[in-house]
Amino acid sequence: MGYKDLREFIQILEKTGDVVHVKKEVDWDEEAGAINRRVYEMGGPALLFERIKDYPKGYRIFAGSLGTYRRVAIAMGLPPDTTVKEIFAEYERRSEKPIKPAIINKDKAPCKENILLGEEVDLHILPAPMVHTGDGGRYIGTWDLVVCKDPDTGWTNWGMYRFMVYNRRYLTGFPRLNSHMGMILHQKYMPKKEPMPMALVIGADPISHLIASASLRKEVSEAEVAGGLLQEPIELVRCETNDLLVPARAEIVIEGEVLPDKTGQEGPFGEFPGYRTEGIRMGVTCRVKAITFRNSPILTLISLGVPPDDNSVATPIASALAVKKVLQRHDIPVVDVYSPPHAVLHTLIVSVSRGGREVANQILDAITLRRSDWNKVFIVDDDIDIFDLGQVLHAFSVKCHPLNGVIIRKIEPGKAHALTPCYTSEERRTMSGGIVALDCTWPPEWPKETHVPTKNSFHDIYSQEIKEKVLKNWKDYGL
Amino acid sequence: MAKEYLVFVEDIKKELLEGREILLTIKDLTPGKRKYENRIVKAIVSSLPDKLPGGDILRVRSWTGVLYPKPWAIKIVEEAGEVVPGIPHGETLLKSQ
Repeated sequence: MGYKDLREFIQILEKTGDVVHVKKEVDWDEEAGAINRRVYEMGGPALLFERIKDYPKGYRIFAGSLGTYRRVAIAMGLPPDTTVKEIFAEYERRSEKPIKPAIINKDKAPCKENILLGEEVDLHILPAPMVHTGDGGRYIGTWDLVVCKDPDTGWTNWGMYRFMVYNRRYLTGFPRLNSHMGMILHQKYMPKKEPMPMALVIGADPISHLIASASLRKEVSEAEVAGGLLQEPIELVRCETNDLLVPARAEIVIEGEVLPDKTGQEGPFGEFPGYRTEGIRMGVTCRVKAITFRNSPILTLISLGVPPDDNSVATPIASALAVKKVLQRHDIPVVDVYSPPHAVLHTLIVSVSRGGREVANQILDAITLRRSDWNKVFIVDDDIDIFDLGQVLHAFSVKCHPLNGVIIRKIEPGKAHALTPCYTSEERRTMSGGIVALDCTWPPEWPKETHVPTKNSFHDIYSQEIKEKVLKNWKDYGL
Repeated sequence: MAKEYLVFVEDIKKELLEGREILLTIKDLTPGKRKYENRIVKAIVSSLPDKLPGGDILRVRSWTGVLYPKPWAIKIVEEAGEVVPGIPHGETLLKSQ
């Protein structure tokens, strides 16, 4: 892949001209977040802030690791100008060939260069940014990787969950109830009133964070999928205070336990849909037991907001392809799945080899089984290139019947996304809402010869003979 | 010099009761590395700073982070622990049942 960790990835971005080193001192209190946000909105480079107010020289903040498809391609070891369609295809190919991680000794793990235990723990030694004006606190975990484990099966889950510095030795967060972390906490630890060990990993290699952001199936090892994507084993090392394994070359690892009998304020936070939707709530409280970090640590930041940013560009790759696998498992004739950055993980585009209302309903059944993050689904025939939004909009405009082609369902409490801005406050709090399928396919019962309209494109409406003739003579036309 | 604190409220009238001791989670706005640290306190607050002499400044934001234009005053009576007894996601669990 050409890099083993975040530092080496930044060096590659230097060679391709995709990172800017900000040498002027910036304030962790809103300034770094504001710069990062503006650069996202300008489609600009990744940023390495080298001087942070109040913090020692060498303590840095890195923002925007996968904020453009170009940087996603570089992270995957592909040419920077690889098309979005090719990135999706390559991700899919590699994710089907997982590679087991390698467990290494502590003395070979860079994340153990500094170890703070017990009373030495102080989260304020790290330059956690106040990302947006009006957020509820300093978010140390934004583009992070949170590790927890099912105590019964031994399955280790990686997820991307926001975490806020509550005080020097506590974090608060709000992993959703229907997230894997939320389910492990409430199904495995809360009934026994036991604390749940967790590790908040910051600044691992960019692919590990991408995989942490994906909605992979329960019991799937994200570490193995990340290895597949990187085409080499991820190096893991054991935590100091629990038996969790974490990426050994990460910049910072915060070890702690989620308490079953304590809570604390969390949020609000400007989130990935592009709005600060949900207000302050009583979240999960993590008592920090150890902080380990590399010399001159680099804290990662994502100033979430309106697209594009790392979350709206990179996360949909993993999430859309996870949906494709779900649809395949349900025997739905899916061809491809895409969610563009501006859909901010709310809108999904699915192409199928056979459409119609029955298939649309099957798709809704499958993608709302555990939870319903997506709330709008375009379903198109497989002659549409779903990576070309012009083609999708054309199909929607002319093939989606305004009465028969729209399927609306309510989403029961506990399954919808609490951050969807169009939901009422009550819907967000109860995690209820709705989903709409926009069926842009021809009804399968329509006879092709007599009822399916002929597409007036060069490819579809002309005979093979005339197409060949035109293509053969193309230069002779002076074109 | 008066210190500054910040509080987030869902319902300003119900949560910032004046003239009596109330329990609040406030954020310390003292500049430096510990800015925004949470403190749970018993305190007296007033929407009219002149009526709480010797009080510190309390900035108030709505539960979604919108700043109310006028600062309040706060007098901390005592610290009330680091975190709150309760279960993770408690209020959300209650609402989604």
